[in-house]
Amino acid sequence: CCGLGMWRMSSLLSFSILFLACLAGFSSRLFAVIRFESIIHEFDPWFNYRSTHHLTTNGFYEFLNWFDERAWYPLGRIVGGTVYPGLMVTAGLIHYMLNLLHITVHIRDVCVFLAPVFSGLTAISTFLLTRELWNQGAGLLAACFIAIVPGYISRSVAGSFDNEGIAIFALQFTYYLWVKSVKTGSVFWAIGCCLSYFYMVSAWGGYVFIINLIPLHVFVLMLMQRYSRRVYIAYSTFYIVGLVLSMQIPFVGFQPIRTSEHMAAAGVFALLQAYAFLQYLKDRLTRQEFQTLFLLGVSLAAGVVFLTVIYLTYTGLYAKIHIPIIASVSEHQPTTWVSFFFDLHILVCTFPAGLWFCIKNVNDERVFVALYAISAVYFAGVMVRLMLTLTPVVCMLSAVAFSSVFEHYMGDDTKREKPPQEKAEEGLGPNVKSIVTMLMLMLLMMFAVHCTWVTSNAYSSPSVVLASYNHDGTRNILDDFREAYYWLRQNTDEHARVMSWWDYGYQIAGMANRTTLVDNNTWNNSHIALVGKAMSSNESAAYEIMRSLDVDYVLIIFGGVIGYSGDDINKFLWMVRIAEGEHPKDIRESDYFTPQGEFRVDKAGSPTLLNCLMYKMSYYRFGEMQLDFRTPPGFDRTRNAEIGNKDIKFKHLEEAFTSEHWLVRIYKVKSLDNREPLDHKLRSVVPRQKYTSKKVTGLLYVCT
Amino acid sequence: MLSEKVEQMMEWSSRRSVVRMNGDKFRRFVKAPPRNYSVIVMFTALQPQRQCSVCRQANEEYQVLANSWRYSSAFSNKLFFTVVDYDEGADVFQQLNMNSAPTFMHFPAKGKPKRADTFDLQRIGFASEQLAKWIADRTDVQIRVFRPPNYSGTIALALLVSLVGGLLYLRRNNLEFIYNKTGWAMAALCVVFAMTSGQMWNHIRGPPYAHKNPQNGQVSYIHGSSQAQFVAESHIILLLNAAITMGMVLLNEAATSKGDVGKRRIICLVGLGLVVFFFSFLLSIFRSKYHGYPYSFLIK
Repeated sequence: CCGLGMWRMSSLLSFSILFLACLAGFSSRLFAVIRFESIIHEFDPWFNYRSTHHLTTNGFYEFLNWFDERAWYPLGRIVGGTVYPGLMVTAGLIHYMLNLLHITVHIRDVCVFLAPVFSGLTAISTFLLTRELWNQGAGLLAACFIAIVPGYISRSVAGSFDNEGIAIFALQFTYYLWVKSVKTGSVFWAIGCCLSYFYMVSAWGGYVFIINLIPLHVFVLMLMQRYSRRVYIAYSTFYIVGLVLSMQIPFVGFQPIRTSEHMAAAGVFALLQAYAFLQYLKDRLTRQEFQTLFLLGVSLAAGVVFLTVIYLTYTGLYAKIHIPIIASVSEHQPTTWVSFFFDLHILVCTFPAGLWFCIKNVNDERVFVALYAISAVYFAGVMVRLMLTLTPVVCMLSAVAFSSVFEHYMGDDTKREKPPQEKAEEGLGPNVKSIVTMLMLMLLMMFAVHCTWVTSNAYSSPSVVLASYNHDGTRNILDDFREAYYWLRQNTDEHARVMSWWDYGYQIAGMANRTTLVDNNTWNNSHIALVGKAMSSNESAAYEIMRSLDVDYVLIIFGGVIGYSGDDINKFLWMVRIAEGEHPKDIRESDYFTPQGEFRVDKAGSPTLLNCLMYKMSYYRFGEMQLDFRTPPGFDRTRNAEIGNKDIKFKHLEEAFTSEHWLVRIYKVKSLDNREPLDHKLRSVVPRQKYTSKKVTGLLYVCT
Repeated sequence: MLSEKVEQMMEWSSRRSVVRMNGDKFRRFVKAPPRNYSVIVMFTALQPQRQCSVCRQANEEYQVLANSWRYSSAFSNKLFFTVVDYDEGADVFQQLNMNSAPTFMHFPAKGKPKRADTFDLQRIGFASEQLAKWIADRTDVQIRVFRPPNYSGTIALALLVSLVGGLLYLRRNNLEFIYNKTGWAMAALCVVFAMTSGQMWNHIRGPPYAHKNPQNGQVSYIHGSSQAQFVAESHIILLLNAAITMGMVLLNEAATSKGDVGKRRIICLVGLGLVVFFFSFLLSIFRSKYHGYPYSFLIK
């Protein structure tokens, strides 16, 4: 229809738009790097960084067989078998390639900038997928949306070296290859899909989503009587080769044939074989009624199995009541509408329109995207963290909606070829069209502005370095965390063991390079409960626990001087609850509240709280500190109260380090005394009455 | 004397898991010595005119607990469950200086009840499991709470499936409505709207419908902070999302349908108006919750 010149023009245009989308995605993720420096953020990325560092220094097989004895002392952690290696291997591979070309980049920089680079690749794969579903214009819009949408940026800023950064790329690419293999029915595309699925399994635990969505798609296609040879070839190849490849990852192991999350795929595979066989028979025989009844029975059975799986995930509410550690993580919470709007802006309002268009003009691949949308929106509604899996499909469907609107309201040129008499009656008029186009463009502009604002304000904080802004706009940097971790690194013995709450485990291991007791992996609840018990007991009981665990240093976070609300006293009740879960006879949560049921740190606080180890460590010497002349000494800015116990003395600990703003406090655990001091008074030596024996004269015995 | 009392209590317990007490029985069996058994007493006010809904809920949980004890293998004559209703034993309430209901108290075999023998209902709630934990704490008697399996959900589901199956069977000659794409599209959109307006959050957290300010009587439908939402608020957002989506669909309809140009133009403008106006409204609601958000469209 169009000449060769037009085709070249449109492909150059597509290429440049995609390039600009990649660039926009990369640069919009660089706020934290420009404001602070190139540093790894948060907590989990520090573990990933340490693993990648181990990989690059020791080699791939050492990494796969790595037993980390510097975490979870004295238990250790089998890293090779409990981690998804895709992220580390990708970063390691890029580092290796660049160093091979003598571009000497430090591994930390590769880790920091990996996620922004992969966001560009995600934009390209989203373009390919949407182009298969709708058309090129929608594809380009989708690529631009996903490059800047906050829902994806939140987990892939520069510095956030986490699985989701590469997993979303793998997800989109796998889905693109799947759609391609269903459309063409060729084994080549199906094998490509399997290889991409293998990469996804190595990258993220969310691969379970793929292995349930693709069978669901096949199942629904069978229900809609859209079964064809292409679907059969695509799914059979995908299931078998994908299964074998996914079991190569040590962490996944034999789960695909044992756990309930993978059973749907097996069920649909069996069903597909049965259906194909019956179709084959149908060409030979004519017993139709019996056949449909049989098919109905089998599909019902598979449907029941699938529904059970969904029911079990829905009643994951059960876990929340009985395991306090799951309830304490704030990411495992349901989603309010504000979170949807904050992360997706106008896309969340317009993607239902795209879904409507897809269903009304249905074909095999649009069934897929409709199922993807419905399942993703359900999971995102249940758990905030899964908003990330909703973001790609929202971008695709709202691109479809916007693209169809723009296509009808901007296209004047194509109508030139139509005969002129039709044009006068059919057209809506150039005025109406241009108003619509202009307003739509304004909405999209607002979207772009919103995305940049959200990225800049909400998702670009490294959380290792805190910044506060004064009235005149100058910036105050609080670098207490790194100060304390580097003090640990330079002033303690290499094999020293540091006890802290599990939030800081990865950072201590990454930055201070010291052995920790518990960290963010939280795989052993009893060990964490022991640490919680030590923090909540009084000093003597805590000292016993610390001696049994060989603890040398204790690290706590205290925010009372600057008003930091994420400190350990605010988290204290979770420590008590987790400890109470394992040691209910020793720790009772009600002991830490006042008789009226309040949690207070001032004089009216419960005596158990005022004498526990966490309280003493947080407020040691704080009673002498007066922050400003309006408040008394020992005024805790975070709790807005004057502390109750100002005269704190330690018997078994001594203060080792306190950072500049008192944010991090490190205490050294003293070893046992050489002699046990006497607790009681010495006996007083008082001469008693002289005893005169009446029998023996002349001798006096003085008894003492 | 003691063995008579114990026998009497066991007989009453065998008839009903929770023994009902009036003032005399209370004084004789719970307060007066000799006693070698512990008594758990629920002070409540279950008469309808008292309008104590908490008492009724606590009573159900108490019944579950008492039944679990009664039919458990560890059942002995060392622990009894009783109840004192205000209308039957008001003198008991007065004697113990009790002015709130429900209250759970433990009367130990020896000595007077201490502070911890009153169950802290405000902080812990009245779930049977928590009561059992408190009883285990005070008396060293472990009770495994056994809730009779609730079949109402299963029955409802079975009824629904049979209803749907019956309807399908009756219309088996004319199953065209399954192929109706509009129906499926509407169903999909309903699911999407329900989820994106936060209905799951409402289901799990159970917020109030709206908030009435006690001072000036003003009803606010939108929660002030971005961490929570009201039921009314989620419905408003649902309607706004639906309106914006409908606007986009109308825009597309207007451009692709073949009909009177004037009518199409009106549909187009209506669609555009829906999208722009309701999106601005949505943005302004978002602004009111997220203080510090600087952007707005048409409405402040």
